[in-house]
Amino acid sequence: MAETYPINIWINEERLEKLQQAGLADMAEEAFAGLKKLSVPANEQQRDSILQMFPMAKFDSATTKSIELLPREIKDKIFTLVVEKQTLDVLDVFLASA
Amino acid sequence: MSEVNNALSPHGGILVDRVMEPAEGRKKAAEAKAKLPIGSSMATEIMSIAYGFFSPLEGFMGSKDVKSVCREMRLQSGYIWSIPIVFDISDDEIKEKGIKEGDTLLFTHQEQPFAVLEIDEIFSFDKTTMADKVYCTTEDKHPGVKRTYACKDTFLGGKITLVNPPRVNPPFDKYWYPPKVLRQKIAELGWKRVVAHQTRNVPHTGHEWLMKGAWFESNADAVLVSCVVGEKRTGDYIDEAIVLTHDALGKNGYFKEGTHLTSILLWDMRYAGPREAIFHAIVRKNLGCTHHMFGRDHAGVGSYYSPYAAHEIFEQVPDLGIGSVLTLEWWYCPVCGEVTYSGLCGHDKERQAFSGTVIRSIIQDGVKPPRLIFRPEVFDLVMESGDRYGFGSPFVTEEYLARRNPVITVPPMEV
Repeated sequence: MAETYPINIWINEERLEKLQQAGLADMAEEAFAGLKKLSVPANEQQRDSILQMFPMAKFDSATTKSIELLPREIKDKIFTLVVEKQTLDVLDVFLASA
Repeated sequence: MSEVNNALSPHGGILVDRVMEPAEGRKKAAEAKAKLPIGSSMATEIMSIAYGFFSPLEGFMGSKDVKSVCREMRLQSGYIWSIPIVFDISDDEIKEKGIKEGDTLLFTHQEQPFAVLEIDEIFSFDKTTMADKVYCTTEDKHPGVKRTYACKDTFLGGKITLVNPPRVNPPFDKYWYPPKVLRQKIAELGWKRVVAHQTRNVPHTGHEWLMKGAWFESNADAVLVSCVVGEKRTGDYIDEAIVLTHDALGKNGYFKEGTHLTSILLWDMRYAGPREAIFHAIVRKNLGCTHHMFGRDHAGVGSYYSPYAAHEIFEQVPDLGIGSVLTLEWWYCPVCGEVTYSGLCGHDKERQAFSGTVIRSIIQDGVKPPRLIFRPEVFDLVMESGDRYGFGSPFVTEEYLARRNPVITVPPMEV
């Protein structure tokens, strides 16, 4: 199975409410004893496209192998797609529309 | 090359002090043949030389030292040194100012006299070779390589003298300890063993445990937090937040009184990985530290160096007179229910690694990280620092870069 590089969307109160309303609260994973996150998987090509489109984002190659520091409004768009499509597999749609 | 004792502390055996009182400095400044304005990066590098952070360097390197440092990781004198410290200038500037070897040049900063360079040598050096030797890559994506390529084509070597010592501005002033001052403070506090922690990050509990682990391992009296204050990129934490939050760990009891001291090092990170680790060890030895902690990916960037390259390089150099505390990762383990050491925790599959980048990402998403990974006092101070110093953001923005309070102010001086 090809390696994936997640975009971590940390769940604040606003996002939690939207997940609960959509019946998707179980989609969020527990992290660090008290946080919840959505891990939206990216393949290598998607990762590279995102890093190119959003230069402020950072691939944490040393520790977590995740894509971090995407602007909050961009994560909000990805989050909205997850809720609409009811799946974490939304990056192709996101990249096509970005 | 001569055999020298690299274990001497300070490095080379003598703490360099090339700082003049203004009255004397004014006279020296007046003797200079030409004036040249310099930016804040060069100004703070000159301060680091003059106050002895970079002992035994007394100025900017000449061609033989640069060549030797690049190829052998040693100065011509034989002392280990890993990063070229150079002053670059364009041929046009040389022509315009009529500068030649043997001249003295007055550097001005903030439109005031600042330091004098006695020019021993004017030379050129192949920047690709410099990049390749120091950074092990010639790719300009590497920030250190990019910096090297951005140098003008000619270099000036020679001794410098700080003729108009600047004021270090709040909030950094409380944390400014030149080596002579810090060595005196360490002696007054009765500390015999001090372990340095290099940082350019707001501390999360992984950092806290790295420091505590290093304190245990080196049987230290205290941890010296040496915060790198220098060139910033958008998205980094602002310098003020980094320094104040480290201090807060001590003030809020996460380190007992008398076991923790926060300080600053004026330095633009080169991200030279293992070579920068050597440089950090020498600078902290000059500050009076007996040990230095090196974690995973120390001073690295991207995937240019293996995660523990900074550990391995210490096997290739002679005793530097400062113990290397080499540590693995600390992570959160949901089974152990705590932040724990990767060398001890057996729950590899369940581990939840975190980094400064992940914490920044959490905060950017408007979420308060739990106290197990980020102390609440640190979080509050990060946000307060953003309001107070960062134009509303604890992260570097274009506005911060353009309008931040300068770290130093050069006082007026008539020459």
